[in-house]
Amino acid sequence: MFSWNKTKLFSAVSLILLTLSFGATVNAQDVSTGQATATVLAVLAVTAPQDLDFGNVLQGVVTTIARTNATNAGIFQIAGEGTVNQEVSMHMQLPDFLWNAGAGVQDRLVVAFSATDCTIDTTAAGTPAAVGLGAIVGEDPQNIPDTGVGGTDDIIQIYLGGTVHPAPDQRAGSYTADIILTAAYTGD
Amino acid sequence: MKCKWNSFRQPAVFFIVLILFPFISLTAGVLVAPTSVILSENDRTGRLTVQNPSDSPIEVSIRFGFGIPLSDSLGNVTLRLQDTSEVNHPRSAMNWIRAFPRRVVLAPGATQVVRFVANPPKDIPDGEYWARIVVRSQDSQAQLPDAGNMESITTRLNMVMETAIVLKYRTGELMAKLGVIDTEIERSDSLVAISIDMENQGNVSYVGVLRCNLYDANDVEITTRRINIAVYDDIKRRVDLPVGISDYRQPFHVDIVIENDGRNDVPANELISGNRLEYTLTVP
Repeated sequence: MFSWNKTKLFSAVSLILLTLSFGATVNAQDVSTGQATATVLAVLAVTAPQDLDFGNVLQGVVTTIARTNATNAGIFQIAGEGTVNQEVSMHMQLPDFLWNAGAGVQDRLVVAFSATDCTIDTTAAGTPAAVGLGAIVGEDPQNIPDTGVGGTDDIIQIYLGGTVHPAPDQRAGSYTADIILTAAYTGD
Repeated sequence: MKCKWNSFRQPAVFFIVLILFPFISLTAGVLVAPTSVILSENDRTGRLTVQNPSDSPIEVSIRFGFGIPLSDSLGNVTLRLQDTSEVNHPRSAMNWIRAFPRRVVLAPGATQVVRFVANPPKDIPDGEYWARIVVRSQDSQAQLPDAGNMESITTRLNMVMETAIVLKYRTGELMAKLGVIDTEIERSDSLVAISIDMENQGNVSYVGVLRCNLYDANDVEITTRRINIAVYDDIKRRVDLPVGISDYRQPFHVDIVIENDGRNDVPANELISGNRLEYTLTVP
């Protein structure tokens, strides 16, 4: 069990001050104070800067958002360890339908994802419309390969497109569903 | 000094990451640390810290699953989570681990400690038992899309994020031992592909580093690859070594090393030291 004493508190404050002194340019993963060296690993942060957004759709009109759509493609970001040794397993749970659970009105809207609706980009500067160097384009979102995190930018970006198929008699209303991305280190 | 540092290391690492975090652009995700939780018969409790670095509330839920790295016939590694009670792996701990709290809404900048306790069955065999702590986070203020007055169809896909952290429970005598069953090498114009069949011969997961160094006939290093590995059961691991455009002299050979050393991301007091494997193969 971790408990604070003066030595540890002093060390913590020293580490914090040392780290702050690096400012916004800190990219290195090793921070040293005297004989002690800490490797900044600890986190595997999964975030979603941009939703996959179909917006308003029309009855009977199939609507597709391409994985290259800069403003409407879904984006997941995974930030992890700062070395190239570590690989991340990613699994995406995709819905088959969006649900409308309004009062007295229930309906579902078919959504589909093709085997090429996903791009894996390991650069921070990449966007759905302009992927970074080495991006894996046209992957199956249901079968994303394990990918190394800790390239130049310590990041993995996943761009996702999809298609909704409103029926001609699709009820008007608000339809929602979840897209779930699970990430884990394969090397512990 | 080193011993003192080990006890201090994980909290310090978390503080450092928290400080670095404002420099990372993130939306609606949480920060989870550490990346592994170790429990034992001597200390059946553990903790995980979850922080919301964003400027909006995030709903966080904790559940358990079972998932170990597995490979396909080509040596591609994946980790698939099973979260039903039907998991029958003899090393599964997911049915006797509890978490408190299991659901919380984190205000912007807030931190929550999640505690774990293990209640293993009596007389379980020595070794290590595994589960995955699945931390799910999503925007707690997600709004249903407004269909408006136009009787239109509006859609919203909620992006939900999950981080799967390994939890290990250790009891009795622990032994880390890895065996290599087979190694295959294929050569193409621009690539040397190595597939290594590994077998866990111990009673804990083998956590280490796999290094592959490709040399030409004059011992000039062509390329090197280093991958962190965790072997729970048998696994086949593929490593691709690109061959650059140069005047390399054939035949090539590959030095392969698998060892515990070099896992600086794992606290020394949590690493079970095992055997070291080193061998050389000629590329056909």
